[in-house]
Amino acid sequence: MLKRSIVLIVLIALCAGGTTPASHAQSDGGLRVLALEAAQAPVDAWTAAFAEASGVSVTVEYAPASEAILDRAAEADVMILDDFEAEPPIAFECGFVSRAYRLLPDLGARFLASNSCAGSMGPLDEAAQALVTFMAGPDGQQIAIDLGLLPATVEIVDQAGEAVSVPQPVRRIASPYSIATYYVYGVGAGNRLVAAGYLGARDPAGAEAMRRLDPNFDTVMNAVSTLNQQEANIEELAALQPDLLLASARTDWLDAAGELGLPVIRFEGESPERLKDAMTLIGAVLGPDAAYRAELFNAYYDGTLAEILAQTETIEPRARVLFSGTEPLRVASGEMYQTAMVEAAGGEPVTADLSGYWNDVNLEQVAIWNPEVIFYPPYGGANREAFTESEEWAIIPAVQAGRVYGLPKLAAPWDTPVPDSILGILWIAETLYPDQVTLDCTAEVHAFYNLFYDYAITEDEVQGLCP
Amino acid sequence: MIRTLNRRLPGVWATAERRQSALYWLIMLLPLPLAIYTIGLGRYAIPTEDVVRALVDYVTAGENTSTQPDLAYNIVTRIRLPRIAAALVIGANLAVTGTAFQGIFRNPLVDSNILGVTSGAGFGAALALLLLRSSFEVQLFAFVFGLVAVMLSYFTSRLYHTAPLLVLTLVGILVGSFFSSLTSLLKYVADPLDTLPAITYWLMGGLTDVTRGDIPALAIISLGGMAFLWGVRWRLNVLSMGDNEALALGLNPTRLKLMIIVCSTLMTAMAVSVGGVIGWVGLVIPHAARTLVGPDHQRLIPSTMALGAVFLLLIDTMSRTLLPAEVPLGVFTGVVGVPLLLVILRVNKTGWR
Repeated sequence: MLKRSIVLIVLIALCAGGTTPASHAQSDGGLRVLALEAAQAPVDAWTAAFAEASGVSVTVEYAPASEAILDRAAEADVMILDDFEAEPPIAFECGFVSRAYRLLPDLGARFLASNSCAGSMGPLDEAAQALVTFMAGPDGQQIAIDLGLLPATVEIVDQAGEAVSVPQPVRRIASPYSIATYYVYGVGAGNRLVAAGYLGARDPAGAEAMRRLDPNFDTVMNAVSTLNQQEANIEELAALQPDLLLASARTDWLDAAGELGLPVIRFEGESPERLKDAMTLIGAVLGPDAAYRAELFNAYYDGTLAEILAQTETIEPRARVLFSGTEPLRVASGEMYQTAMVEAAGGEPVTADLSGYWNDVNLEQVAIWNPEVIFYPPYGGANREAFTESEEWAIIPAVQAGRVYGLPKLAAPWDTPVPDSILGILWIAETLYPDQVTLDCTAEVHAFYNLFYDYAITEDEVQGLCP
Repeated sequence: MIRTLNRRLPGVWATAERRQSALYWLIMLLPLPLAIYTIGLGRYAIPTEDVVRALVDYVTAGENTSTQPDLAYNIVTRIRLPRIAAALVIGANLAVTGTAFQGIFRNPLVDSNILGVTSGAGFGAALALLLLRSSFEVQLFAFVFGLVAVMLSYFTSRLYHTAPLLVLTLVGILVGSFFSSLTSLLKYVADPLDTLPAITYWLMGGLTDVTRGDIPALAIISLGGMAFLWGVRWRLNVLSMGDNEALALGLNPTRLKLMIIVCSTLMTAMAVSVGGVIGWVGLVIPHAARTLVGPDHQRLIPSTMALGAVFLLLIDTMSRTLLPAEVPLGVFTGVVGVPLLLVILRVNKTGWR
């Protein structure tokens, strides 16, 4: 998985750095699609609908097998094939091959942006991207449903144990659960959100970052006047005509929302396994490409965890870690995601025996735990000075050694069960064991936001995120 | 006055008087040894001789002079001592203001929160947490808004010219509810991830965050207020008989009540600004003391201070020692205080009837 990331970064670097103009000739200004013969029915329907909607002419050429398509990749703007994960044997001086999009369970597409220099895409490249996202999005899914290639309803069991039946495709998502919002971005469906809460994006820095990640952020965030775990303005919500509601398993107002007759998925992702389950669930109901991205995410999560583990499992003794919350003496219980993160990163969470949510403790108890490292979260006004400038905390070894660290965030805090938390684990491992852990945080951050938020993160942003 | 009456009465009254007198001195002697004992208790096990050495060092040299680890010295002097001092002072403070209020309102159901001081302080703290976040400003806002709420209650009630005590009680409840609603409004607009937990945490009350720096202001205002209430203890007896008796005995009940209200409010606001909302002490302790030593404020005022100090000290000691995670103080005072009050009301032979 790391290799995949590096390839992507190299491609982006090529794209950004190259200056040579287009390498292959344009035909008539229309899009050229190379597609698998076996998929002729959906491809014809997709391209016809796209041409009609966008006014871009599309020529489709069919080939009997994926190998032939890959070999002729240089001639095409869009490839539709079954072996969509294979990298085409082509390298642009000034362009890139897009990531793979899944259109049907066994069919995928890539576009080839051959005229994209220094980060800006040529008009034909943009059209090629539009065609692929059209096919992979709800419109394409609807066409596939009409052809009988995809189910019209998806049945799942959510994390509250309720069976939910979700009519397909889902075009408009309302996510009062401010953690689930990031699941939606993680599977590439952020543009389908019509109303959402955003964890960690109410402070100016978080909001600014979220605006860069999604230009529609302010509209979506303010679409409904009241929308959170405790309450929602149901009528304003209904007026937005969402197809799907994403809620916390602990949300209170669902009975009223249930009267709208909307499918509601309830999440509870407070552990690595449950986070991955949540991603699988959201992928399952948002179409084949979202399901594919959820698979990619889970594989990325497992892969990165395994790499961290490979470097930390032999480290002895383990660093004793206290994960503090919005107040210095509020600490994360053993059931919380923060504790699981510390364990995954090779630390020894001193509060592992506590149960429930955040626990209030006293400093004597902290002295017994004797932590060598203290982490605090990027919200709630938690800050380093609360520890380092307190004469009471000066008796704690972590404070004496200056090993008090705040977890970073871009928009979503890295210590909460959002997709970004895998970077949080990596960050904790690097912070705990700077000499032993040699993973490249910078590269992973670039790769992660590209893969799961379709966002090219800037150097300035990375500066603030890596140790 | 009641004591003089009692002295002249033979038999049952004299026996009760002797019993109450003995209990009174027992209660007054309780806080100090208990406080010294609880210094030795805590999650972090420190041998008794080290505790003693730390205390001796603290008193004589002001720093750690022995060979024992600094950690034990710091825990005893920087964590346990301030917290125990705060528990004693706040407990005494809340209990004695409760007694004073019950006396002047002639109502066994009130405590010093009746004029909205706690709700006002809660609102002030929430406002500061929402806007400013520094712990000094949170305390300052809590203190100031506690006073503001009481002033609002007092001056609003002056607008009505009937049954002043009843109106004052009613307006106090209304002002308290008003500030509670404002606090709810602040909680509603607060970021559920950032500010809301901080506000909830503050409102639950607790002495976890008490440090040495909190003690001087708390001690000065509380001890000053206690001295004043002790000074007016016999006048409280007169006030609790009603305004007409007070006038007949040459007191100005309105002015005296105002002074007691101002003093008690300053004290309660100070206690709340340090320890958050700690309920029940001001209601349960006066009743307990009245059962034990009788309704005469000569004894009632000192013994409620001592009992309040002991009660909060015991509760806070449980809260900080029982479990790794602290049980919120407000929860404990309710869980212990309510059954206690029910028992007291059952056995109560003196005082309110």
